[in-house]
Amino acid sequence: MSSAQIEIQLIASIAAIACAIPGTFLVLRKMAMISDAISHSILPGIVIGFFITHDLNSPLLILLAAITGIITVILVEYIQKTGLVKEDTAIGLVFPALFSIGVIMIAKNANDVHLDVDAVLLGELAFAPFDRFIVPDVDLGPKSLWVIGCILIVTIGLLFAFFKELKVSTFDAGLAASLGFSPAIMHYGLMSISSITTVGAFDAVGAILVVALMIAPAATAYLLTNNLKRMLAYAISFGVFSAISGYWVAHWLDASISGSITTMLGLIFLLVYLFAPSRGIIAVLYREKQQRTEVSLLTFLLHLKNHNEEEERHVNHLNEHINWQKVRSKTVLELALKNNMILIENNIVSLTEKGDDFTSQAIDYIITNEDAEIEHMKDDFFLFRG
Amino acid sequence: MKKTFLFLIILSLFFSCKNEKKGNGKLNVVTTTTMITDLVKNIGGNQINLQGLMGSGVDPHLYKASEGDVTKLVNADVIFYNGLHLEGKLVEVFEKMKNKKTVAVSDVLDKNTLIGSDYFASNYDPHIWFNIDYWKQATNYVVKTLSEEIPEQKSTFEANGKNYLNQLETLKSKLNTSISTLPREQRILVTAHDAFNYFGKSFEFEVVGLQGLSTATEAGVQDVQNLANFIIEKKVKAIFVESSVPKRTIEALQASVKSKGHEVKIGGTLYSDALGNTGTIEGTYIGMYEYNVNTIVEALAAPPSR
Repeated sequence: MSSAQIEIQLIASIAAIACAIPGTFLVLRKMAMISDAISHSILPGIVIGFFITHDLNSPLLILLAAITGIITVILVEYIQKTGLVKEDTAIGLVFPALFSIGVIMIAKNANDVHLDVDAVLLGELAFAPFDRFIVPDVDLGPKSLWVIGCILIVTIGLLFAFFKELKVSTFDAGLAASLGFSPAIMHYGLMSISSITTVGAFDAVGAILVVALMIAPAATAYLLTNNLKRMLAYAISFGVFSAISGYWVAHWLDASISGSITTMLGLIFLLVYLFAPSRGIIAVLYREKQQRTEVSLLTFLLHLKNHNEEEERHVNHLNEHINWQKVRSKTVLELALKNNMILIENNIVSLTEKGDDFTSQAIDYIITNEDAEIEHMKDDFFLFRG
Repeated sequence: MKKTFLFLIILSLFFSCKNEKKGNGKLNVVTTTTMITDLVKNIGGNQINLQGLMGSGVDPHLYKASEGDVTKLVNADVIFYNGLHLEGKLVEVFEKMKNKKTVAVSDVLDKNTLIGSDYFASNYDPHIWFNIDYWKQATNYVVKTLSEEIPEQKSTFEANGKNYLNQLETLKSKLNTSISTLPREQRILVTAHDAFNYFGKSFEFEVVGLQGLSTATEAGVQDVQNLANFIIEKKVKAIFVESSVPKRTIEALQASVKSKGHEVKIGGTLYSDALGNTGTIEGTYIGMYEYNVNTIVEALAAPPSR
């Protein structure tokens, strides 16, 4: 492994962490697309910077880019506060407007200069190790490593200092206000950090990867936990894992590094989406099936309790009476038998004492309490455990 | 966690001090655009280990670095690039590179003769390869640089350089003959983006690009209308698609001319920011230039269709 390769992985990993932290809060606040918006709306900042300095390499351009990012956030917030449109609509209104202002400024005043976001922000991970930070004769490593590293340290510092405030204002703005810390300040603080991180990480890793690193790890983590701290930790791990594994995929395929990292982020999300223990598609499908069976069982037991006539309780009649398909009636019968709720004699089904007890309790719950109460009942009778 | 980062940063600094040299003992030369790759190949020949970053047919605007490019750059001894912001931010990276020799072929040119921006003094049109005289200067520059790097091969490089200069001279006179068949008033070149200004200056063409230099801007509706009127007024017979710019805008222009009751045909595809595929004639600078001029002359000189 050459030093450049190590540096690329390091930059990608640090960018992943720096993006995952604000990303987690953005996803929770349903403002995930703000990073995409910022990466577009910085164009007018860059153009104005160029008009002032006439130099594509001036740091003023990057500074103005970050400021335009913050302006984007303020405008989004302002439009959203009117209550007339939702967050995503507000974002969608602001950034194309700002971006097109930039495009029009180029078209009117600088059509013969190669001026676009790419000309100012490096945005290519492969070249990051070659853009070095050199203090007279001492090579201090890649510049983007320093930029994104500083952003990360500030972000972590603010996260530790304001974790409680951020948490409360994210989940319950009203409570935060009544506790004495302004949700608006928290909001703008978070958004400013997001804006600076976006611009800084854009320079280091490029536009698409910034958006992917902000959103994908946080969204993946959200499928796995409800705990904010854990969500942050998961998001960071997914981000770093994708950064490093994506790099090696790129190495293996000789492909674009940021493209491969983004692909890894997508793959991890897909895997978690399918296999997450409680919110994954497979888990949800399984649970739905279980719930259907439980409801069927209950219906069946109620039916037995209501009918003493033998013909109503004949195994072969179940299909007609409760309108079940064969397979389902078999599953339900087996489940009920396994839990000792019914007896089958000469193909006539009758409730056992336990089954009778369970059913009357169920009726009680349905009449007196909300449906949710039935959930506890399952514990009482060890349903699905035998 | 922060300690780990600090450790990693220090580790990376440690590694970055290490210098690695690989290869078969030959000088590792990396070039950016296909035009420069072709130029350096003609001069360096087998004496150098040449690797182009942008593969055949890859436009500098659309170039995306792959992981392999990192290794190419790490192992490079000399890097040749176009400069004048053609390679975007990469130019700045090359300019600041300390431990490698980086050469912008545009450095050798007299900045006062370049086509500058109307608005901003320090920015120039980077499509310098369409001026054959500039390309000759670039050839001499490459010969000089390579000779400095490998003095023992100086005579080979100089011979190759002389040979190539002759080829360029032949090309130039051939193109002049071919273009002289075209009356002055028919020398109007309408293309998708402003890549052919140096070509126009060399061969007295009026060059009109639909789109500006930057790929972020797009042609405005009014631009298309104005250009359509211009085409009708000057009786331009053909307009041209570029290999590296989507056809769409030029087709829109054609449709716009048609809607005004006139005909303009699409004269063919010109190579602007990248050469054709390696192995084909258009894959070399000379072949590309000849192909472009033949296409232009043929399309513009065609007798009016009944």
